[in-house]
Amino acid sequence: MSVVAEGTPAGEASGPVPAAVPRLILRSSEFRKGREASWRELEGFIKEVERRDLLALSVEELQRLPLLYRSTLSSLSVARSIALDRNLLLYLENLCFRAFLIVYGPRVGIWRSAADFFRRGFPAAVRGARWHILLSAFCLLVGLVAGFVLTLGDESWFVSFVPADMAGGRGPASSRTELLNDEIFAPWDGFAKTITGMATFLFQNNTTVGILAFSLGIAAGVPTALLTAYQGLSLGAFIALHWNRDLTIDFIGWLSIHGVTELTAITLCGAAGFMLAERVLFPGRHARLDNLALHGREAARLAVGAIFMLFVAALIEGCLRQLVASTPLRFAIGGATGMLWLAYFLLAGRRAKP
Amino acid sequence: MTSATERASLLFEGAVRRKESIVSPEGVPMSVEVASYGDRLAAFFLDSLFWTVATVLAVIGIMLAFGFSRHAMALSLAIFAGFLLRNLYMIHFELVWRGATPGKRLMGIKVIDRHGGPLLPGAVIARNLTREIEYFLPMGLLSEGAARGAPLLALCLGLWMLLFTLLPLFNRQRLRAGDLIAGTMVVVLPRRLLLDDLAEHQARFVFADRQLRAYGAFELQVLEELLRRGAGKDVARLRRDVADKICRKIAWTEPVADPEVEQFLRDFYAAERAFLEREQLYGRPKASKEDTGKPASSG
Repeated sequence: MSVVAEGTPAGEASGPVPAAVPRLILRSSEFRKGREASWRELEGFIKEVERRDLLALSVEELQRLPLLYRSTLSSLSVARSIALDRNLLLYLENLCFRAFLIVYGPRVGIWRSAADFFRRGFPAAVRGARWHILLSAFCLLVGLVAGFVLTLGDESWFVSFVPADMAGGRGPASSRTELLNDEIFAPWDGFAKTITGMATFLFQNNTTVGILAFSLGIAAGVPTALLTAYQGLSLGAFIALHWNRDLTIDFIGWLSIHGVTELTAITLCGAAGFMLAERVLFPGRHARLDNLALHGREAARLAVGAIFMLFVAALIEGCLRQLVASTPLRFAIGGATGMLWLAYFLLAGRRAKP
Repeated sequence: MTSATERASLLFEGAVRRKESIVSPEGVPMSVEVASYGDRLAAFFLDSLFWTVATVLAVIGIMLAFGFSRHAMALSLAIFAGFLLRNLYMIHFELVWRGATPGKRLMGIKVIDRHGGPLLPGAVIARNLTREIEYFLPMGLLSEGAARGAPLLALCLGLWMLLFTLLPLFNRQRLRAGDLIAGTMVVVLPRRLLLDDLAEHQARFVFADRQLRAYGAFELQVLEELLRRGAGKDVARLRRDVADKICRKIAWTEPVADPEVEQFLRDFYAAERAFLEREQLYGRPKASKEDTGKPASSG
């Protein structure tokens, strides 16, 4: 037993006893003596990994790491119930936590996880979010119809729906030939100008809108719905402008070559926002924040994929749109991209393990 | 027992430290320390510095390689490259270095899963993507508002979005919007050393159970901390005071000479710990000297 000097009658001892005081045997000290070597070994591994990375360990050491981690974790549990040594408790807790971070740390680099994401994660996320996508598409459509109908009747609406830098000189004052020559069949500007135009447009408009639509889902989805509808609104205004000048088919062809990808991406961003909103509004059995954390990653996958699609759309827009100066061909390319995306979303990664 | 450790920590480290408990997948609770605002801000500034330098170098490189020379072009190229580089930088390092970017590593902080699970790539991507609307977008709007002629709308929008940026100020775990979505948390990662066992030595003083009953786990751990302090005049005086107090409390009649104070305290510590650990094993834990073991006071 871990008692004080055996055979010392209680109450009698109240002074130094120089003659042979029996050694105290503490259960916690014995426990520590028995386990300390394995704690030190684990600590050595952790130090090595923290300084460099997991590859710093040999194969045998890597195999020992989880075993040592579990045994140290059980040491912590035991120490908590039998030891009162503050330093020991804090040390074990710290050691277990550091080992936990290594044992359960992310094991894939950015390229592996990116490949995995495009092979499985993104299409699966899209398939899992069909109702959110429908809702988001509905918002876009409502905006589009409203923008179209309003602008059709009174073109001054165009100015309020489309911000000046996005309109790029187009507006109620534009004539049919202007639109035809400067927009739909404008000559290709060459590589340098296209690339910068693309960068500006992509990152000051589309991506921003996409990320906003996704993240503002946190605010119960109202900003997401508004943003998505607003995208439809300006598109509707554009279509109405061309309708009034009898350019609808040409314009839609001009738009479809990249628009199929771009509008799908915007819809997906909206859907990701609605996913967040659903988790905040209807937490089910969890607390709201827990529920958000549980499902936020799913929504983020959708948003990341959509941002990648926006990138593709911008590439098509910058490099292909003005080069292909024929409406039927544009429709063909637009349709083909649509089919490709559809096939990708419906078929990719179905058989692979989740 | 744990509460005694926590109380002792509170005494030594102050209330500044904010502790949270996570449960490992094996079901063992571990307490972690939430990173302070200062640490996180400093880490963010360091990271910003790194990727800004990288962006500037990349832009200069591209401009030279393609022979661009126009000002407007450089700006949009910088925006593009900046977006790409900063996100790749953050996501890459948080994946490869297990939740730490270079800035975080320098500040000794780390991203972990809030519920004790593994840190998944999806979580890392989500929390970094959200930074765009938390910081870069409002900053962009504010600077645009300041630069342009009609700044009011941009300014309002920017200020409204700053509310997202300030989210960590309004919750216990100091989560920003990205942490909320990704289910992560930023914690401090200190390194603790295992020091010698103070109970391991040749004892000279012997105490009776009746005397050891005077104190509890909290006092024991405070005494441990005092014994672990290095030698010094203040410490020596403090030890003298503590030894005198203990003598009075446990009715120790023999005077303890100055050179013997440390020995006395160490012996008392070892005996007290042996006693309390045994009592705890028998189901009679004593958290502090006020703890009488009755349900009313121990609860």
